[in-house]
Amino acid sequence: MSEPAETANQVDAKGIVVGLVGIYIAGISGIPYLAFLAGIGAIFATKMGADAVRRVCSYGIGTGVPSIGMLALGMGIIAAMFGLAIGKMYKAVFIGPIVGLVLALVIGFVVGSLTNKVIKLNIPVMERCLTEIAGAGVLVLTGFSVMVAGSMDFTVIVEKVITTGYIAPIFILGALGILHPFNASLGPDETQDRTLVHAYSCGAIAMVIGGVCSIAVIDPIAGIISIVIGLAIWYATFMGFVRLVKRDAGAGYVGTGLLPPGAM
Amino acid sequence: MTDITIIGMLMEHWVSIIGIILGGICIAVGVHFVPVGGAPAAMAQATGIGTGTVQLAAGSGLTGLLAAGYMYMTLSAAGTPGISEVILICATGAVGAMIMITVTMLVGNWVYIYGVGVPPASAKVDHDPITGDSQAPYVAPGTVGQGMPTVCFVSGAIGGLLGGLGGSLVYCMLMWVNGDAAISSIFAIGVFLVNAVLPSYNIQGTIEGFHDPKFKRVPKAVLACFIASLLCGIIAVIIPGMSAFGGV
Repeated sequence: MSEPAETANQVDAKGIVVGLVGIYIAGISGIPYLAFLAGIGAIFATKMGADAVRRVCSYGIGTGVPSIGMLALGMGIIAAMFGLAIGKMYKAVFIGPIVGLVLALVIGFVVGSLTNKVIKLNIPVMERCLTEIAGAGVLVLTGFSVMVAGSMDFTVIVEKVITTGYIAPIFILGALGILHPFNASLGPDETQDRTLVHAYSCGAIAMVIGGVCSIAVIDPIAGIISIVIGLAIWYATFMGFVRLVKRDAGAGYVGTGLLPPGAM
Repeated sequence: MTDITIIGMLMEHWVSIIGIILGGICIAVGVHFVPVGGAPAAMAQATGIGTGTVQLAAGSGLTGLLAAGYMYMTLSAAGTPGISEVILICATGAVGAMIMITVTMLVGNWVYIYGVGVPPASAKVDHDPITGDSQAPYVAPGTVGQGMPTVCFVSGAIGGLLGGLGGSLVYCMLMWVNGDAAISSIFAIGVFLVNAVLPSYNIQGTIEGFHDPKFKRVPKAVLACFIASLLCGIIAVIIPGMSAFGGV
């Protein structure tokens, strides 16, 4: 694992700030054409989760990387829905994402402590990384739910995202965005920028699918805006990923066919 | 809707919290019974099913949830299900999960026996505790067993039973609280995943079944999952269903 270009604090700060700002603009403005901003927030949150997965899984957790991504969204879904429901119960819709985030950080810290203190996995960064992963999970779920529903209101999200079943693709694609980048890139030559640019492209795929879902739910034009922006982000980041793969390929690369001379 | 308060919801639904904790502990113990081999088993170099704990637990748990959800729908036509209905629903969920996990093990064994060409054998015990068959001569050199011998198969079926039972119990308890199938099922999946991943760290990814020495670690997972389920349960029962908001 090489020296990181971005420290954990920088990645977390960007993930939380961009994630929350995106969710709030999309949720409060009430303009369906701005719903894609929540998706962009969720992409940054995906990157924050992927960076935490990268740090904790480089210790070797023995169960495979996917387990921790599913754990993130398992904790995230409970906290996200709790936050939105509390906002509705106290008639203050805007506190929802913050309450969900804070609760997820608490659950993540408790589960991280249980893993280290009770199960004795003894990974020094476990508490911190599970806290970040749970936070990323809640921001990803809230972000994509707000993007699909175009609102932060609990009843609207239940009606348009959960009852319709669109929560299932959001859940799995959100988890994939967090767990897949490191799972695909792990190994002795893993580099942070390559893993994280892959996280952006996974998040963008989730955003495109979320856009397809929102065509039926809110406004066709808002859905198409999300799809087009998601595709543009995916293209840019995936091309960046391919460029970094070529940069990191020690023995050179060929598009197809036999390995180049000297690589064997 | 003004009378919905956090304390009120907690006071009213404390039974559901206990149910969620019981369900979570069932899931945690169930994970220890399922023969998980991980990546080595996928290459027929270790005993068990060739994938990770979470995939197996999620697969059997979701099959159980589907079965339980269907049963709940059928039984709730006559009114809100009581204790006897909940027992029936949990039994349906347990059977659904058992069918999924046993079919996975059966077809996996066909692939190991007829495709890879290895005899199912356990490296953790000399003689199969159920059939008494000798195991050591059949373990290929350089591996830690392969396939699913009888004891692993039986153990896996018990794991599916406990996993399905726990998942369905969590689902029923949430349905009592919010009465909304969509919210309850997605929450049950969340609680299920948390309670499946924590034990999978406890067994460090692989286990053969109840005859494996790692099975002695169960109490640690039960304690961890008790705390985690308590936390999840308290949060989950506070969330009211749509009907409380006067929605659909």
